[in-house]
Amino acid sequence: MTTLIALDGITKVLKGQEQPRTILDGVGLTVDAGQSVAIVGRSGSGKSTLLSVIGLFDRPDQGSYQLDGQEIARLPERRAAKLRSSHFGFVFQRFFLLKHLTAAQNVAMALVNGQGWLPRRQRRTRVLEALDQVGIAHLAKSRPTKMSGGEQQRVAIARALVRDPKVLLADEPTGALDTETGTLVIDALLAATERGCGLILVTHDRDHAARMGRIHDLVDGVLTERVAVR
Amino acid sequence: MRRLSGRFRSSLIIGLQGIRARKLRTLLSMISLFLGVLAVVVVQAGASIAERALLADLEITQGYDGTRVMDMPMEQASTDMLAATVHGRSDAVAMMGVSGIVGEPGVLPVNPGAAPLDQDWGPAMVCNDVGCEPAPGVKGQAVEVRLTALSGDVRKFRPFRTVTGQWLDFSKVPAMSPKLVLNRAAADAFNQYRVPAEMRVGGAAANVTPQFVGVVDDGDMQPRAYVRLDELTTWLPTSRMADPMTGGEMRLLMSPGSPVEPVVVSKLKALGNEPYVYTVESRKDQEKQLTLMRLVFFSMAGLVLLIGVAGILNVGLATVGERVEEFALRRAVGTPRSLLAGIVLAETLLTGLLTAAAAIGAAAAGLKVVTMLVGNSQPILSDVQFPWEAGIAGIIAGLVAGVLGGFIPALRAAGIPIATVMRA
Ligand SMILES: Nc1ncnc2c1ncn2[C@@H]1O[C@H](COP(=O)(O)OP(=O)(O)OP(=O)(O)O)[C@@H](O)[C@H]1O
Ligand SMILES: [Mg+2]
Repeated sequence: MTTLIALDGITKVLKGQEQPRTILDGVGLTVDAGQSVAIVGRSGSGKSTLLSVIGLFDRPDQGSYQLDGQEIARLPERRAAKLRSSHFGFVFQRFFLLKHLTAAQNVAMALVNGQGWLPRRQRRTRVLEALDQVGIAHLAKSRPTKMSGGEQQRVAIARALVRDPKVLLADEPTGALDTETGTLVIDALLAATERGCGLILVTHDRDHAARMGRIHDLVDGVLTERVAVR
Repeated sequence: MRRLSGRFRSSLIIGLQGIRARKLRTLLSMISLFLGVLAVVVVQAGASIAERALLADLEITQGYDGTRVMDMPMEQASTDMLAATVHGRSDAVAMMGVSGIVGEPGVLPVNPGAAPLDQDWGPAMVCNDVGCEPAPGVKGQAVEVRLTALSGDVRKFRPFRTVTGQWLDFSKVPAMSPKLVLNRAAADAFNQYRVPAEMRVGGAAANVTPQFVGVVDDGDMQPRAYVRLDELTTWLPTSRMADPMTGGEMRLLMSPGSPVEPVVVSKLKALGNEPYVYTVESRKDQEKQLTLMRLVFFSMAGLVLLIGVAGILNVGLATVGERVEEFALRRAVGTPRSLLAGIVLAETLLTGLLTAAAAIGAAAAGLKVVTMLVGNSQPILSDVQFPWEAGIAGIIAGLVAGVLGGFIPALRAAGIPIATVMRA
């Protein structure tokens, strides 16, 4: 198993207010290819902050972050943008689909990177493949306003998958969905891990967490692995 | 190359998607900019039309830029020399003016000295060896004109506009009785005074019945009648033309570099005259006035354009505010900041260009309508083409407005933190 992500002693301090607040306090975490990890914790415990550090939205104040064996804890924005598009797929609680674009165009959006777009043909096949993976290829031409929440979230997952990411980062992807639809979404995410993709899922739902390979608790910025009690 | 074009293309395509998604917004920002670009286009068009009109008037009265002009005293010898030298040439045309009175026999003209009808240049005078005194007799139904004899087609140098009838035809053999073309001032005078058609020229063999074939606009206030020199001389000897009582002006118009100039100069010198030659430089003479006019108009147009830019900026910023999530998301999926800024800039640039095209179209159509409605009564406006300078000025104005109005929103968009998507 190749190690995709190795965090060690990651610390994030929020400044700006009267006194600095430590949001992440020496977090360590490794994720291998094909592994799925759940991160659970109370609201405000720092789960989203951790994901934004892993997804290179933000940089840690201390600690080491290795992606594919490469140290990237302090990376200039230009290279971070490249890595975001080459290594990560993101799914959020809200779907963030652009209302003025069709499902296919929304998915194609993730194919824009520093070099512009892929040629139209390749773009089409990859978008349709991604939509097919989450089971909604028939909705390619529909607009988000005409879709159910579950369908919209699956478009968002297709958008995350279209670049063949090495790691999927999902921040409460089922938070806005009913149990049944949520299960479908988790199915789609787990399907990606079978093709070797790593998955980090932030969730409040015990059942969804239990389907992951490992569960980590985040309490006041400190991450601990829950010992399996199967 | 492919990398660059791919990037450029994707900002354009995504920018276009953005415009299509927000048609009303785009329309709103277009309205203010439209007025600004329209102002620039109209000012530029007005300036070049005014410039052309101004120059056209100068060309009629002075001659085209670059024309060489030589004035010389009217004397028998120089008149004969000039007539012989320029005979049959088209690169040099001599104009010789004599006095002609058209009307009732034996009366003084209403405008002695061929004065413009609304001016009084004093009474007619007769001169002899002792001095001059007012001519005897009473004013009657007669009009005095400057009878201007032409050795060739002067319109090569001064583009007279034909008002009615025809211009003199220099290609035919000279007629026995001279054909005359009046200028506007003369035509007006004959409209005002119904005179018997007989023409007296001092020293002519006999009075003739003039044959008027047309009216032209020559830009002159003085009543004039143009005639072919070779037709006039069948009836009036050159010796009489040089008579100080009747003649007075002799002018030679030449193309730049015409071989006639050195010949005439040396011949005149041999006759004991010092010729005075100059070049017509209408544009240069008007430059200062035109520059000032342009400056005033452009500062006004610039002001209006600035308001347009403020409009596009305002709408642009509001749009970025609304699209924080979209931009954060785009950055999350790996769109670099520069491309994001490019997308916003592409949107305002496209809006600016679209607006410029609309404004140019509106201005061109407006000009067409105006020329159609008033072109007949305002000769300056008839036959006016939309000047291309105005089109270019409009496109530049649209581009500048797009860049200025899109720059700050683009910077804003590029600076949106990605983590926004996690906290929304
Ligand atoms: N930009 C910010 N400014 C101020 N405080 C912030 C900012 N970002 C995060 N925080 C604070 O950091 C803490 C952790 O936030 P975070 O969003 O990571 O929590 P979370 O575990 O994802 O919570 P939830 O389950 O509600 O999504 C919170 O107390 C939050 O108030
Ligand atoms: Mg959160």
